[in-house]
Amino acid sequence: MFQALRREVLLVAVASLYLWAFVVDRDGAGRALASGGRVFLSVVLIIVSVFGILGLFQVWVDKKKVATHLGERAGLGTILLGAAFGTVLVGPVYVIFPLLFAIRAHGARWAVVTAILTAWAVKIPMVPLEVQFLGWRFALARTVLTFIGAVIMGFLVEWLMALGSRSKGEPGAARVN
Amino acid sequence: MVALVAAGYGFTRYRSRAKTNQAVTVARKSLLAMLPTFAAVFGLVGLFQVFVPPSLVERWLGAGGGPFSLLVGATVGSVAAGPPAGAFPIAGSLIEAGAWMPAVAAFIVSWVLVGVVSLPFEGRVFGWRYALTRNGMSFLLAMLIGLAMGWLV
Repeated sequence: MFQALRREVLLVAVASLYLWAFVVDRDGAGRALASGGRVFLSVVLIIVSVFGILGLFQVWVDKKKVATHLGERAGLGTILLGAAFGTVLVGPVYVIFPLLFAIRAHGARWAVVTAILTAWAVKIPMVPLEVQFLGWRFALARTVLTFIGAVIMGFLVEWLMALGSRSKGEPGAARVN
Repeated sequence: MVALVAAGYGFTRYRSRAKTNQAVTVARKSLLAMLPTFAAVFGLVGLFQVFVPPSLVERWLGAGGGPFSLLVGATVGSVAAGPPAGAFPIAGSLIEAGAWMPAVAAFIVSWVLVGVVSLPFEGRVFGWRYALTRNGMSFLLAMLIGLAMGWLV
């Protein structure tokens, strides 16, 4: 039971807030609940669609093949490919990180790994949700900027890692700083 | 939107029935797994709309703050514990309450890229040097992207 609570920290926190709210301002708390519910209903179809897309991606994009491919090459093209791959990645942190670690173990440069991780902020499957809440101009701008940022971050972090480090970002140093 | 996704599924069903069923299962399971989080996030949105005075948002995340608002946005995002999908509804509420758009953009980018909560895990997988470097740079990137958003949008 405690395990479940630990996992859903956010829900527990929000539930506690509501408890406090009910004590302090019963009417307000009720309104808050209703308001949240209304917003949810307004986007429920989009959420369902988003997960539909997620399912399709999960099954049809072969992560292993991409991982191997990204690990074996090392040019600008690979970094761009990595960033593109990152934008469509979906999953919790504890799934993404091991995947990236596997890519790194296959020999990928820090630049590639960082580009993927940063591009992960784009979350293409979630874009419909972003558009719904923030408008398509915002979503488009953020997507483009993040993609560019991913490539820059790739080079930047790799360079920083190479400073004062003997490994110089060489592959095969996956376990060493 | 739903029509598009349904069409997509119809197409893949034609290509491979087994894989399509698998996709549906994955979709359903992921959705169910996320429901507690969505409940929390939309609950938070509701609380926000009723209890957070716009003046508070204006003070910490308002346009008048400029770089300070960016910093606050990026900081709040970095300590967020939860799936990135949760950032969007909250961001929408922030904007509605009068937050500066760049600060909200920094908030979203930071939520996804900088994880104070996930730092230990990242450190264990990639090494602490990488984890700290990447998170630090991402924090700056979040603010930069926020700034750029201000020019573009």
